[in-house]
Amino acid sequence: MLGTKLDKLTKTRRSELPQLLDRARWKIIGREADKGLLFKCFIYLILLDAAYIYLKPVFHMLATMLKNPGDLLDPSVKWFPNTLYLGNLQEAWEWLKYPKALGISLTLSLSVAVLQTISCAVTGYAFARLKIPFKRLLFGCLLLTFIVPMQVTILPNIIYARELGMLNTIYPIIVPAFFGLGLKGALFVIIYRQFFSTQPKELEEAARIDGAGVFKIFYKVMMPLARPAILVVFLFSFVWTWNDFYLPSMYLSDIETAPLSMGISRIASALRQQAEVYGPSVTDEAIRMATTFLMIIPPMLLYLFTQRWFIEGVERTGLVE
Amino acid sequence: MKKRLRMNSSLTEYLEGTLFIAPWLTGFLVFMAFPIGYSLFMSFQNVTITASSTTTEFIGWTHYRTILFENGSILYNDLLPFLRQALFMIPIIVIFALLIAMMLNQPFAGRTLFRAIFFLPVILATGEVVKEFLMQGEGELGFMAKYNVSGIIGAYLSPTWSTPLISILNSFVLILWYSGVQILIFLGGRQTISNSAYEAARIDGAGPWETFWKITLPAMTPFIFLNMIYTVVDLFTFPTNPILQRVRESEYGQYSALIWIYFAIISVFLALIFYVFHLATKPQRASR
Repeated sequence: MLGTKLDKLTKTRRSELPQLLDRARWKIIGREADKGLLFKCFIYLILLDAAYIYLKPVFHMLATMLKNPGDLLDPSVKWFPNTLYLGNLQEAWEWLKYPKALGISLTLSLSVAVLQTISCAVTGYAFARLKIPFKRLLFGCLLLTFIVPMQVTILPNIIYARELGMLNTIYPIIVPAFFGLGLKGALFVIIYRQFFSTQPKELEEAARIDGAGVFKIFYKVMMPLARPAILVVFLFSFVWTWNDFYLPSMYLSDIETAPLSMGISRIASALRQQAEVYGPSVTDEAIRMATTFLMIIPPMLLYLFTQRWFIEGVERTGLVE
Repeated sequence: MKKRLRMNSSLTEYLEGTLFIAPWLTGFLVFMAFPIGYSLFMSFQNVTITASSTTTEFIGWTHYRTILFENGSILYNDLLPFLRQALFMIPIIVIFALLIAMMLNQPFAGRTLFRAIFFLPVILATGEVVKEFLMQGEGELGFMAKYNVSGIIGAYLSPTWSTPLISILNSFVLILWYSGVQILIFLGGRQTISNSAYEAARIDGAGPWETFWKITLPAMTPFIFLNMIYTVVDLFTFPTNPILQRVRESEYGQYSALIWIYFAIISVFLALIFYVFHLATKPQRASR
């Protein structure tokens, strides 16, 4: 009698212990591995590391920019300057001719972004849904524009611009955007094409039965649907045009018309020249950082306000094929 | 009667399509096709440009011969180290981006914040800003110097291969900065896999490890391919690229030849990726 009871007891004990172990294991490793403590820690570790790498230069920029000469020389001041010193910013502001360069940059980026958002949508819609003669061949051409480096076509395009007297104006950069080309235009067309081809066909059929023409369908039905794609393309286009300095350095070599993106290299060379004459100065790096800051602050602000929709948009569009 | 009407409607559809594609096609012909042809033409010419006119004189393969065989310093000095470095960088960028995208896709606290941080490179990593960041010495990893990694690598590998490897490790941060768009593409791609596939796998008792290899990775193959292509194009057309910086507004003929040689090299890279992708997806396509 007692023997069987004892036997029962040890049996339950024996079955309880692995259960307990299992539970502990699930807690640490997780039943599906992506829910366990260990995995979570691992993820946080990697992500924090990478985030630190991304954020460090940004913080370094902010810190260096706000140091006064005394703080710059003091090795004990690394991240937090003793006083907030705005002299570097002021100097960079003057070097850059900030209001004017900002105006040029804004005009350039906004017009390219708006034009590309519209023209690439039209082209992307055509590639996704409409009947086009030689569609495959044309799509091949689109891919070609994606892989051909800008530098292949830059020299003939400069000759164009010179013949038309458009050097040192922003038109040579804007006009290709009107046609759905320009900086990474092919990528935007592919994004739109991908987005439109995932939309249900019934929408257009219904609109067609209601008597809507293809233009009406495009801008009454498809464009409102494409809001996430529009946001993604607009933001990319704006930011890339803003940061690009290759095209401006080719077309806008004149100081009076230079956008902000060229400011960094201009200031760097100016400082180098100054250093050759007077010897290096402690504030050189601070001024360069202030320049960088002034250059990236507008797109950063834009991103700050749109990032929620932007990330959603990226997920909704599935970005590309 | 009915047949004619149908034909008409299909004709209208073609007309509409043509109308929609017309702006892009015009732009393509004017800003792409013609310049491509013209730069190819110029690469065989001796081009002299004066204020009033452009004169060209046919000289055949001279430019190509000069660049490839006679004056090697134009191409090889910059190109070879760059190519070797690219060979390492492309897979590292793609794998890193895949890893981060998979992690960012997990539900965890603070995900939104991390996502916002990881899209920073997309906003900033073009052109001068990254160069500026790297100039402050932020590009190096602390452990490299601490453990004398470069010394160890240098001892075991021939200098031809150890130099690019060391320079990659030194500029690892740069690689992270280059992978912004790739992370985005992978994140978008991950959304195309339906959750029911994962649920089914879970019910069948597959662990996360198996799920990754059997479901996630095959479904991501097209995106990996796309990212490879994007990375190659991006790396090879980055404005700070040593060869592209040589293309300046003088010596039109010679630079056209240089850029065409360079373009041919890019094409080889892309063709290689296409081929590998073709091989990799063969079993998938056969089973379908």
